[in-house]
Amino acid sequence: MSVAAPAQWQRRARPLLGTLVEIGLKVDATARAHRIEDAFNVICHVQACLSRFEPDSDITRFHKLPRGASLKMRPDTVEVLTAASELRQATDAIFDISVGTSPHGWCIDGDTLVKHDDAVRLDLGGIGKGYAVDCAVRSLLTSGATAGWVNAGGDLRAFGDVDLPVHLRNEDSGGLKPFASLRDGAMATSVLDCESRERGGTGHKPGPKREHVSVAAPLCLWADALTKVVAATGDRDGPLLARYGALAWRH
Amino acid sequence: MRVLLAASALLAAAPTSAFAVDYLSADQAAKLMFPDADAFESRTVALDAEQLQRLEASGVRGRSANWPVRVAKHSGATLGFIVVDEVIGKVELITYAVAISMDGTIKQIEILSYRESHGFEIRLPAWRKQFVGKGASSPLRVGDDIANISGATLSCTHVTDGARRIVAVVALARRAGALT
Repeated sequence: MSVAAPAQWQRRARPLLGTLVEIGLKVDATARAHRIEDAFNVICHVQACLSRFEPDSDITRFHKLPRGASLKMRPDTVEVLTAASELRQATDAIFDISVGTSPHGWCIDGDTLVKHDDAVRLDLGGIGKGYAVDCAVRSLLTSGATAGWVNAGGDLRAFGDVDLPVHLRNEDSGGLKPFASLRDGAMATSVLDCESRERGGTGHKPGPKREHVSVAAPLCLWADALTKVVAATGDRDGPLLARYGALAWRH
Repeated sequence: MRVLLAASALLAAAPTSAFAVDYLSADQAAKLMFPDADAFESRTVALDAEQLQRLEASGVRGRSANWPVRVAKHSGATLGFIVVDEVIGKVELITYAVAISMDGTIKQIEILSYRESHGFEIRLPAWRKQFVGKGASSPLRVGDDIANISGATLSCTHVTDGARRIVAVVALARRAGALT
């Protein structure tokens, strides 16, 4: 089998954000070698701000604070925690970056992050990857890239003149199936919580086959975060999704 | 934003497929990670039983006694080292290259190729063997060339563990004077 005129795509991948991050760019007259490099560097910078495993991240600094103390956040942290705070309020703390340690143990005031509870531990795993993808896409667009995508282990966003075929991995037995074609938008996938699957009452019985949730949204931050909300509630038709221009599927 | 879903009947009936992407050759990765190098010298680090034991004692599984290493040079001076390795995950086989600076730290990690199996073949040597020596033109791509995978997040722990092992092997080899 031969392909007459394959579209030219430059693809690179690195282990970042605890997963594999792939960047794909259309090779055209405006191509610049440093674009992908710069976008990876942007992701490294976001990781340095947000990861609880990085010694100088805002999150690690926050964990060291005593109750009642506060710190000035870096701009990336402000953006992510503002979104997390908004989602916490909109979902009655179902979206919880403290992962159960103390959902209201933190609050933000502008660029200040305040600690209310010694027990609170923050983990941005449910929103940070999506944000990092958006930052990388922003960097690529600013540098003049015309089309491409960034995929952080399944949290992905396509931009420009490309219809990106998205396949879903079968988590239980391996293998992939075609799922959608994505243009100028983001998509993320999560495993549906067993509890919400039982509550859902849609005829799905808990069993060996896992159910998944995929959310598409204009920004990857929202696709990433909203999959966690839909996975926890099982509700894919709520007004929250509409607010962010998002669509959700259970499969 | 535009999302077109594959028809659900199609989704249910579609056979599961495998997936493969080649990102860079080992030579391309070496040049990318050491752009100032004017030569790359190939060496093989052969760890003896005692060195393997020392690796294990430091909490790093040696895995292999022989490690091919590229030494990046500029006008005869050593800039650093590149080691290519392969790791197997739950459903994926990843080839990656680690660049190590002269201070012994990781300078960069680049993925060279990614192969995802149907699941069961990943542990079969025959499945893995089919990719040995395959270049960027190897087939086995699914659907469109630019297909992307979504799903529960893939962990890259085995890549980072592998890179840590390579750092330890290179440090050991340098201490023994094998990579001057």
